[in-house]
Amino acid sequence: MHRAQIDSAASPSPLLEVDDIRTDFTTDRGQLRAVDGVTLRVSAGETLGIVGESGSGKSVLMRTIMGLLPRHGVTVAGRAVFDGQDLLGPRRATRTLWGTEIAMVFQDPMTALNPTKRVGEHITESLRYHLRLGRRDAQREAISLLDQVGIPDASHRFDQYPHELSGGMRQRVTIAVAIACRPRLLIADEPTTALDVTVQQQILELLAQLQRERGMAMILVTHDLGVVAGRTDRVAVMYAGRIIETADTASTFENVRHPYTEGLLASIPRIEDPSQKTLDALSGRPPDLVALPAGCRFEPRCRYATEQCREVDPPLVTDEDGHAFACWHPRRPPFHIRATTGHS
Amino acid sequence: MAGSGTAHLQDDGDVVLRVEDLNVEFPIGQGRVVQAVSGISFDIRRGETVGLVGESGCGKSTTGRAVLQLPRPTSGTVTFDGVDLGTLSDEALRQTRVRMQMILQDPVSSLNPRRTIRQIVGEGLTIWGRQDGRDARIDEVLVSVGLDPAFVRDRRPHQFSGGQCQRICIARALALEPELLVCDEPVSSLDVSVQAQLLNLLRDMKAAYGLTVMFIAHDLAVVKNISDRVIVMYLGKICEVASADTLFETAAHPYTRALVDAIPNPDPRRSVPAVGLRGELPSPLSPPSGCRFRTRCPLATEVCAVEEPQLRAVGDGHFVACHHAGSVME
Repeated sequence: MHRAQIDSAASPSPLLEVDDIRTDFTTDRGQLRAVDGVTLRVSAGETLGIVGESGSGKSVLMRTIMGLLPRHGVTVAGRAVFDGQDLLGPRRATRTLWGTEIAMVFQDPMTALNPTKRVGEHITESLRYHLRLGRRDAQREAISLLDQVGIPDASHRFDQYPHELSGGMRQRVTIAVAIACRPRLLIADEPTTALDVTVQQQILELLAQLQRERGMAMILVTHDLGVVAGRTDRVAVMYAGRIIETADTASTFENVRHPYTEGLLASIPRIEDPSQKTLDALSGRPPDLVALPAGCRFEPRCRYATEQCREVDPPLVTDEDGHAFACWHPRRPPFHIRATTGHS
Repeated sequence: MAGSGTAHLQDDGDVVLRVEDLNVEFPIGQGRVVQAVSGISFDIRRGETVGLVGESGCGKSTTGRAVLQLPRPTSGTVTFDGVDLGTLSDEALRQTRVRMQMILQDPVSSLNPRRTIRQIVGEGLTIWGRQDGRDARIDEVLVSVGLDPAFVRDRRPHQFSGGQCQRICIARALALEPELLVCDEPVSSLDVSVQAQLLNLLRDMKAAYGLTVMFIAHDLAVVKNISDRVIVMYLGKICEVASADTLFETAAHPYTRALVDAIPNPDPRRSVPAVGLRGELPSPLSPPSGCRFRTRCPLATEVCAVEEPQLRAVGDGHFVACHHAGSVME
């Protein structure tokens, strides 16, 4: 198979290459570009965090890459290649990669599971279809998977229905479904947003552990900078359909360059701060994607904005440390631009 | 945890709300009963913000609703401004409820989509016959929550974002000049930037209108930011009561400690803490004997299964219901 060749070649190219993705929706109010020129790379075994608020385009980006958007009213441009196989073109390989090479975990574990199907069937289904396991083998493997994702009494849970499980347990089941065929890339789209903070901690720890054991790459999509802080190698921050800052995780937090990222961090109430502290909240809200500002998309909310920001859209530039940002007035100047990439 | 007890109730006069031995049970047929809230007591001083925090299913929302007698609790008393709400007739209760307002988690579904913002915010004023200056009052509260009345008044909820809808809900709650505001997860469905704006707004509103606030949320950092005192709940019982700063500096209950440790911290230099709390919330149909937290507690011993811990003082205004609280604080 194709996969074996790539493995033996120890290919230096990234597992997932996404170039200049643009996703347009046709709406009553006109064309709406939900994702506007996003480029990113994910190497084998790496974890990329994608952070953004509602409407930043982070989920649409993932669904575009996975080919999960409706065909009507949606136009996709750009390139997405998984291990040499095209994900977006007319002869895309998505169907053969889904579930086996790339898998996805969604936000709401209730709607991700079929309420009329027993828990175990969700897993045996893909084991039998993709791996051609027999009924007994599939059942044995499914119980083992339920056990691996930390579901107690797995053989009993195998026969239960999703509604009999708590939210945290259901999310463990969707993770078991996702990892059943040993994917090399797991896309987790807000996997813990619907869960309690203690359960969130358990699920994030489970994902990290599975990733270590299996050498999976992971894209962790979230609105919570706290979630990506200790658990990702690199972070990309999205705003109004674009990546506006991306760097390795430590650099993203310690050398924040973009005022939006700075504002997001300041908006989070910290447990170590005294009670009743006034939060340094970002004012305003994201722009209307149908009527975008002419210059920088963050300009209307930016406390450092100048005339230049109102008129000219800043490109995504990379500094000498490999920290990329799209801003005319980055924090912590001065800096030296090494390369200009992305949208112009 | 599992604490009952009333050691933490305050004696001084300016207590607006006092809840004593509150029980809320929901029968689910076949003689089975969900014990949502089991014998909790607390009070709130005038002008104070008290946070109620815990995981899903701990009874925090049920407690908030029981305070407003929605529905009336199974047993226990709720005393608001010296009046026992349980003894009031439906009409007297209706008259009293004007002074207590509620803000809910999902701002979009708590606004009638067919009405204009003017109708929504002004409805309470109309019901209570305060027609004089009604429009001026509507504009006033809209301005105070940071909305432009001229733009907002004649639009409908679907034209606004979640954060703006929550501002409209706050304006509606404030229109009748309530004394007590019960906020049930008011910011948990919102983005962090909007959440910060609303927390600041609530703080400003509280000062401007002299409100007393009961703030229910699952996010400890949010609760700490807004609250003067915090009550930690687990499976229908109170674990710990303390001032917001004390609670997070010297959490005495193993459950509080686990909750604090589970908060994702936006600082990558901090090591991610090991998973503190394993397992899941037991069923409120048959809660564990003794301390309800013992099935998940790393410190549990035999006494925890037998004897229910009572709330006891471990510091100034700091109360905890745990047999092993001392060893947590060390």
